[in-house]
Amino acid sequence: MTTITAETSAPARPRKLVGAGRRQWVGLLYVAPAVALVTVFFIIPLGMTAWMSLHNWPLMGEHSFIGLANYWAILRDTRFWNALRFTGWYTLVVTVAIFAVAFPLALFIERPRRLTGFYRTSFFMPAVIGFASASLLWSWLLNVDSGLFSPAAFDLGLTEKKVNLLATFQPAFWSIIAMVVWKVAGFTMIILMTGLQSIPSELQEAAMIDGAGPFARFRAITLPLMRRTLALALILSVAGSILAFDQFYIILRGGPRNQTLTAVYWIFNQSFVSFKLGYGAALSMILLAILVALSTIQLWLLRKPEGVD
Amino acid sequence: MKTMIAGLALAASIFALPAFAADTANIWVRADGSNFMPRIVDAFNKAHENQIKLDIIPNAEIIPKYGAAAAGGTAPDALSLDLIYTPAFSAAGQLEDITDWAKSLPYFASLSPAHVKTGTYKGRIYGLPFSADSSVLIWNKKLFKQAGLDPEKGPANWAEIEADAEKVNALGGDIKGFYFSGNCGGCNIFTFTPLIWASGGDILSEDGSKATLDSPQLRGAIDLYRSMVKKDLVPAGAQTDTGSNFFAAFAAGNIGITPSGAFAIGALNTQYPNVDYGVTFLPGKDGGWSSFAGGDNFVVTKGTKKLAVVKEFLDFAYSLEGQTILAKYGSLPVRGDIAKEALKDLDPRYQIAAEAMAKGRTPYTVVFNDLINSANGPWTQMVNEVFFGDDVDGAVSNAQETMQSIIDQAPQK
Repeated sequence: MTTITAETSAPARPRKLVGAGRRQWVGLLYVAPAVALVTVFFIIPLGMTAWMSLHNWPLMGEHSFIGLANYWAILRDTRFWNALRFTGWYTLVVTVAIFAVAFPLALFIERPRRLTGFYRTSFFMPAVIGFASASLLWSWLLNVDSGLFSPAAFDLGLTEKKVNLLATFQPAFWSIIAMVVWKVAGFTMIILMTGLQSIPSELQEAAMIDGAGPFARFRAITLPLMRRTLALALILSVAGSILAFDQFYIILRGGPRNQTLTAVYWIFNQSFVSFKLGYGAALSMILLAILVALSTIQLWLLRKPEGVD
Repeated sequence: MKTMIAGLALAASIFALPAFAADTANIWVRADGSNFMPRIVDAFNKAHENQIKLDIIPNAEIIPKYGAAAAGGTAPDALSLDLIYTPAFSAAGQLEDITDWAKSLPYFASLSPAHVKTGTYKGRIYGLPFSADSSVLIWNKKLFKQAGLDPEKGPANWAEIEADAEKVNALGGDIKGFYFSGNCGGCNIFTFTPLIWASGGDILSEDGSKATLDSPQLRGAIDLYRSMVKKDLVPAGAQTDTGSNFFAAFAAGNIGITPSGAFAIGALNTQYPNVDYGVTFLPGKDGGWSSFAGGDNFVVTKGTKKLAVVKEFLDFAYSLEGQTILAKYGSLPVRGDIAKEALKDLDPRYQIAAEAMAKGRTPYTVVFNDLINSANGPWTQMVNEVFFGDDVDGAVSNAQETMQSIIDQAPQK
């Protein structure tokens, strides 16, 4: 909002102050619906969450103000920090995995060639399924008795008996990673593709004439010019992964043996299983702070280098 | 819709004599009751001036939804609530004290004792029995016959469970001897603890203030399950089943024996008429039996203005007509004195479940969700570890410690 009003007033000269003032009001009018939406659906709930986090607020019954006690309790809540550590590990692995799949796919489908439309659509398709439905689908695929993977591996003679993929940590964890990559890589691919397409082909051609190989062109031209796109894709992926919940809830229930509890899962448990809404709100505020910090760091790392336009 | 009903009610109050002014009360039920609840509400509405408006809420959402509605002042007038939550709701001061009315009912003494026990908090009654479900053992008669066992005789102690399961399992192919949901706290409190109770042990003290996991009876029951897992009598999927296959595994017809609930009788009869099954009690180590008495308590939101309508509805539910409707559509009767009559035209296997209900038990604790039902709570974690893991001692003592600390940290009011 501020940026918009600032931009409208920027070109105005001092003697046109009156007009600029009026234009500012018109500008405000234009953004008013958006401001109203943001206020009602973001600012007010956020304020309420912050307010609740200062209370002992059970799901039912009376709540009482307890100051920062919830936050002190979080410091000693080892299970939350374990969940956060797991979330961090998951975010790292899944982000790397998504980019490792999405980038080659984006390079592959960027240029128009035969069947490009078909490939784009099929790679993108899983992205339009909701996370919950995708999780349900995969929880069936991963089922040891009636699913696809274990029985297929057994029938093909790859394994001696049907392996329950969800019973121990490593196979369960990597199954989830595979599912998320399948689901999200198509979306990241589209974002990266738009970035690739915005690079003028003259640059590539000029470099080619200068004798730069494909790898050198990728490193010196494609990557730097995709900085903004990469930042967008990265932030979306990291923020989405830190807030991961559905797949762990639906497929694994936080198992095996509570080793895949994510931060949001823990907040959900505290709020709606233990009925401690105030504590859940405090945990949410902490998670929000972490997310804001991470996003800021990413934006800073991927900012435009000095002197480059 | 609400306004429309309110409008109708208003119109009715203008035109009808004031004494007959009809009133509408709103009642919620969890999805488990979606079979019988609409039937009994319909029957009530047809026969009465006052009306009930019913909302069916998904099982997992009814508690948070009710909490939010209560905070916003839009809670329903009454609620059919999973009985194990009644202590927590009463402790939160959310419910109307209905002690005097309850005790004035002539058949109060024959109401399901498990329900009344969980509906009582600090000597006052906040919940009365509404629907009931008890845990029982069911076996597949066809597979028993194929395995050379007497198809009419279910296992009556632990050794028989294991021996029968082994025989059925020997049929081979997709057929397995035994099934349980190995990663589901709710399923196992319902079907595994009765094995312990029937042998004289318990997992919580009577008042819910102590966790008592370290008992030879619990160890014995664990050994039974472990032994069956080790002998490969249980499908591999059991280890990660969070409850979604609790009923479906047996219904598919490839399982010899499984602990289940009274609900399975209605569900098998209507959805899987080809499965020929028997119902018996969940036995103790050397015989005897026990059951988890589950179901819903009927609770009234504190301060509701529709108390009269709500009482009228509950009176109707307790009548022979009401109890028969409930029984016909999947709930056991909750009035012991007329249970036989309500069940007389129904599948005789219900009689076993009704008897199990009458003597069934229910753990009493205000932190049931945290201790038992939560997929990430100590009970769920323990059952999974002790049935399939390597460190039984560690898992049991860890669960004992965690459960006790949750009990100790619970708000004392």
